[in-house]
Amino acid sequence: MEFGLLAAALVAVGTVRLVLALEQGRTNQPGQTAAAWDAAIVAGLVGAGVGRIGAMLSGGTNPLAHPLDVVIIRGGVDTVPAVIGAVIAFTIVARHDLRATADAVAPAVLAGLAGWHAACFTRGACLGSATDLPWAVGAPSGAGRHPVEVYAALLLAAAALALILVKRRHPFAGVVAAVGFAAAAAARLATEPMRLAIGSDLRWWYAAGTALGIAGALSAWRFGIRRT
Amino acid sequence: MTRAILLVTASAVLLVACSSAAVPVEVDPIPSTTPAEVRALLEGSTRPVMVNVWASWCGPCRSEAPLLRSAAAEWGDRIRFVGIDVRDTQAGGRGFVAEYGLEAIEHYFDAAGAVPDDLGGFGVPISFFFAPGGRLLTMHSGVLDERTLAVALDEILRSTP
Repeated sequence: MEFGLLAAALVAVGTVRLVLALEQGRTNQPGQTAAAWDAAIVAGLVGAGVGRIGAMLSGGTNPLAHPLDVVIIRGGVDTVPAVIGAVIAFTIVARHDLRATADAVAPAVLAGLAGWHAACFTRGACLGSATDLPWAVGAPSGAGRHPVEVYAALLLAAAALALILVKRRHPFAGVVAAVGFAAAAAARLATEPMRLAIGSDLRWWYAAGTALGIAGALSAWRFGIRRT
Repeated sequence: MTRAILLVTASAVLLVACSSAAVPVEVDPIPSTTPAEVRALLEGSTRPVMVNVWASWCGPCRSEAPLLRSAAAEWGDRIRFVGIDVRDTQAGGRGFVAEYGLEAIEHYFDAAGAVPDDLGGFGVPISFFFAPGGRLLTMHSGVLDERTLAVALDEILRSTP
């Protein structure tokens, strides 16, 4: 069992729950918080499953012939199908009050993603490309490397805090969620040059995600309904 | 209650499982090897070497196989990729290699699993990363993810004089 991966997932889920609880204490809207939590869990599960199946298909493994391999998350989760699957699942689960639920969950999801990346310490997967910077992390050979997952965690945590502040200004419905989507994609785009990868280059997808989030925020601001 | 079920399901999804689906295919045997032969291979190599211990009955091995295929295609001219098929059948092993297109990797058969025992590893899959000359730089127990493998391969490339 990959206990490091499980620990990282628990950190992420726990962070989402913590931020939602803190926000509930401030807004006193338990119904909306519960809906956001349920939708986030379902979206996370569906996203992980779809992303894993996408990775199996692209790697030449038939998911129907090897159904148990779907649970081997560490063997690869394709980010793009995972995000698409999660967004569709979230849209279905939270369809009755989609924009408000998405706004409620967005800061918590960003914080959860920050927790996921910060938990690279439990997975032994913090290292990126080589560097001589003073805060470089030692690799097995002793060479210094960018702690690229920590960078991503810091960016996402800052974005989560910023979203909480933006949300308190009661912007148009959907703006917080769209800005959160853009921030998550931008954080990955910014850290991608310091990651080492094998045959996968998702920079254009992250750039497209950032642009989509910004367009969504502008659209919600232009045509949206101001929350109270 | 619904939330509890969702949480349990979320945890279960993240647990690693093994299945026992082997692919019986009639093919040429994988050459057998011994710990001494693998040691000699490592000490005599002028390139860094990645040794991946696998078996056709191992679900996580199937999961990381596409990643290893991509790595061998991308780094194979600078790194020697060696696979050790342990506690397996010849037909199962060759079927696995054919199914996942792992022909770019040198495979050896180790029915007793003596090679990983000698290298200091436990379980399947397990990967060892050696500098030229056979010095072990790092090892990874369990299924590899892309980032872990990329960093480890970069490490052994940097060990090359």
